[in-house]
Amino acid sequence: MGIVRDGMSEVKQDEGVSGRGFVPSRRTVLALGAVAASTVVTVRPAFAQTAGSVLTCEIPVPSPDKVGNYIASDGTLVPPGTPGAFAPAPRPLTGEEVRAMMNHGPTPAGFDPDAAQAYLNYIRRLQAGTSGFTCFASLQMPR
Amino acid sequence: MAGPLYAADPPGAVASADLEGLTALFHARSGTTHILAPPAPQILQALASGPADAGEIAARLAADFELAAEADAAAAISARLAELEAAGLVWRESAPTADSGTKTAAGSGQALE
Amino acid sequence: MRHRFELRVGPVAFRIGSAWRGPVDALRRLYSGYPAPEGVCDFTVRLEPERPWRRALRPSVAIRGDYMLPGAAPLALAHGLLAAEMGMNLQMALGQRRFLLLHAAAVEREGKAVLLTGHSGAGKSTLSALLGERGWRFMGDEFALLDPESGLIHSFPRTVSLKNESLALFGQVDPARLGPVMEGTPKGTIRHLRPPANAVARMAEPAEPALILFPRFGSNMAGEAREVGSAEVFVRLTQASTNYVALGRRGFVALTRLVSSVPARAIDYATSDEGVRLVEEQWRG
Repeated sequence: MGIVRDGMSEVKQDEGVSGRGFVPSRRTVLALGAVAASTVVTVRPAFAQTAGSVLTCEIPVPSPDKVGNYIASDGTLVPPGTPGAFAPAPRPLTGEEVRAMMNHGPTPAGFDPDAAQAYLNYIRRLQAGTSGFTCFASLQMPR
Repeated sequence: MAGPLYAADPPGAVASADLEGLTALFHARSGTTHILAPPAPQILQALASGPADAGEIAARLAADFELAAEADAAAAISARLAELEAAGLVWRESAPTADSGTKTAAGSGQALE
Repeated sequence: MRHRFELRVGPVAFRIGSAWRGPVDALRRLYSGYPAPEGVCDFTVRLEPERPWRRALRPSVAIRGDYMLPGAAPLALAHGLLAAEMGMNLQMALGQRRFLLLHAAAVEREGKAVLLTGHSGAGKSTLSALLGERGWRFMGDEFALLDPESGLIHSFPRTVSLKNESLALFGQVDPARLGPVMEGTPKGTIRHLRPPANAVARMAEPAEPALILFPRFGSNMAGEAREVGSAEVFVRLTQASTNYVALGRRGFVALTRLVSSVPARAIDYATSDEGVRLVEEQWRG
């Protein structure tokens, strides 16, 4: 993403005292950016109150600081290759998918049903401070 | 040929803070926070005096700044407006009809680009 | 509820009710010396059986209270103390409105606070607890409370949960400050460490934020520090706050003011001694 960082150069203004010997001021340059540039970033914390934002929040399984671990069917983290344990989720689960699973809805597209249950159990064990906790918590907020 | 007219909330409806050349913006109506790089905040400022299309915005900006665009100023500004629109910070207004005194049945249903 | 405990931590008062005695006994021991709340408590935590018959038979502790996560997994009774701590975290994460919550550790020196923020596992709990043993006042390892009106950081010194590997660094502390060993928790084997006496005695003293650090801990990290731009700090802190959005304009003003007035550095370190050294170096710098 190429943010146009430097749209403005320093303002330099020279003004003569009486108008005589007046040096034209150099105005601030404003670069308008390439058509494909990106100049607006919306801040999207995982935790927000509106129902709409639940759709956008994501829960990585496992959380980024636990990369490399596998997930046992009860949701605990185990070393890779542990028999019966599942590989990390190929993509983060969205709040919407987690909510559906918690209401005994369908397995998210592209996920093995047993693996998805293991991921759900992992998510249910998340504590404050872990990545994805705030997304999980936001699923419980009224409205 | 005029493009669509864009409008923004008045300056009092947003809170902004300068963060080393980037602008943090709080949009009170939606409760959303955005980070903007130039010329996006300047475009919002230019809309403070009323809705305008890309060409008119360029003219308003040119009054205060030396504009530098890789190609066409209006094209660059249109791209910036599209970003601001996606973020909910500007929206398209219906263009005023030429004879604003008379109302026609079709007028209210006029679709914009 | 059968068993009760009331506790004040910094500006927040908790009431913890439990169907079992064990967790309340553990809390009372670990938080001895903490002040009692005056008047109504801000938040209630309830440790309840997942189902009524699970109070005695294979006890299963559900974390409930003013704010709850109904889908959350219950804990074993042996982890009751951890359940109480998670319950308090949950009330803060979901219910705190007076202060902007930053997911950060904080330590203080000469009235100024250093904030250590980042992912769990980045080492901020261990680092802040260590600094607390080495001349700094410990203000908390989980949440730093930013007062939107004053811009000051308020102390929230709860017990620190330390993983096995980190516990070795605290061999010199008074054993009375350590909670029970808990194995098989989501974080592996842990023990809780009560903050030092001065941290408890001075918990009502806020401090002016003076430095924001993003620590990263790893065996392959070179001991380095680099500047972080204020826009990046701002965005990272919004991700690290559970109540930024809920606070609306107040939160925006408080956070932009913080990142505009306080320098920020990212520090990478491979040993805790190196971490402490880098913090002190950045503090002096």
